[in-house]
Amino acid sequence: MSLFEILSSIYEGFGVTASVTILGLLYAIPFALLAGVLQHFSTGTARWSITAVIEFWRSSPAIVLLYAFYYSLPAFDVYLSATTVGSMVLGLNAGAYSSQAVRAALQAINRGQCEAGLALGLSRFTVLRLIEIPQAISAMIPTFINDVIQLIKGTSLVSLITLTDMTYRAKEIAQLSYDPAGIYSGLLLAYLIICYPVTVFGRYLERSQQEKRAR
Amino acid sequence: MGFDINFAIEIVPLVLKGIGNTILVAILSFFGAVALGFFWEMLRRSHRLMRPFAQFIIDAIRSTPALVQIYFLYFVLPYYGIVLPAMFVGIFGLSFYFSGYLSEVFKAGIDAVPAGQSEAAYSLGIGWRDTVAFVIAPQMLRNIAAPTGAYSISILKTTPLLAVIAVPEMLGSAFDVASKTYRYAEPMLVAGALFLALSLLAVGVISRIERRLGLGPSLKLKSA
Repeated sequence: MSLFEILSSIYEGFGVTASVTILGLLYAIPFALLAGVLQHFSTGTARWSITAVIEFWRSSPAIVLLYAFYYSLPAFDVYLSATTVGSMVLGLNAGAYSSQAVRAALQAINRGQCEAGLALGLSRFTVLRLIEIPQAISAMIPTFINDVIQLIKGTSLVSLITLTDMTYRAKEIAQLSYDPAGIYSGLLLAYLIICYPVTVFGRYLERSQQEKRAR
Repeated sequence: MGFDINFAIEIVPLVLKGIGNTILVAILSFFGAVALGFFWEMLRRSHRLMRPFAQFIIDAIRSTPALVQIYFLYFVLPYYGIVLPAMFVGIFGLSFYFSGYLSEVFKAGIDAVPAGQSEAAYSLGIGWRDTVAFVIAPQMLRNIAAPTGAYSISILKTTPLLAVIAVPEMLGSAFDVASKTYRYAEPMLVAGALFLALSLLAVGVISRIERRLGLGPSLKLKSA
């Protein structure tokens, strides 16, 4: 098989990889924002419990979470498709990482910003919505891009729970044609083509933000 | 088939069998990743023409999934007649994957030492070697301690990937139990709980070490 043939049959799994990534982001982004904001503002028991939820999703290995949910939900009479389980687990795992970026960005905002908003008569929630969150989001974007790359790479794990993503395709054709060197090089290349531009873009954003801060 | 709590408790010791290998693999991979990551960073700084080359290697390592890198090593090396034990392939794979991230940590740590420090050392007549060893390195080590600690946790959390190439670590022992008893729910949940406990324990140990070294309690976990 030529490299082109290998790549084109690997990219037959691109749809699954892309949909798990996008569905994962649909879990990750709201979870990250909600958990980060709640962790920043809550105190006492509420803070303790939100931290416990974040730590559960962040401190467990993604592959172990994936297997644990995939195999044990049916035992509790919860039947979800592999796509749902995969995107939910990977999304919440990535979201828990991003929530720390949200919290750090909120903590880094100058207190004067909030005080000025309150002095103008805005409610605390309006200050959060119109003043703090927009600034936090622009500060956390480089970290968020990194988390997105982690999520895209993490989707290779769904091949282990029977989803036919790019990694699964590669394993399939590796069994048919005895050319592991070509096929797994092709698989590395397939992910590199997707993630490399994002990595470079993320570093560019990070650097431009550092320069902005240095000024 | 419901969830049997007694069975779950019964199999805890069986799953725990793999914990020694999990910890061993994590520690060896950590040292491998630090060494290789430092090598990439030195390559990047060694020569103007080396820079883009080393940068591309580092970015390529960071742009491909750990699972795929491990598959690559595990399936491709034997094709060229290099047959290594799965454990060795796994340790090398994890070292390779995390070396890309650690080289970025080292880069940031070295860059954060102000240029005035080495200029001052040179103007005092201190040689190049002594400047690196006694002026730059101590400050760089302080800069990299926290993120390196965070990546050591990430490495620990990535070790269960090696179950896919049959390294006998903790997730592997959970699968052994599952395939013998035809029950998957309990072993997987037990493995999940044990890995969570292990990684929280590791976070505790690392932040203790950092506090002992006077580096402050801030352990910021990075993704990966």
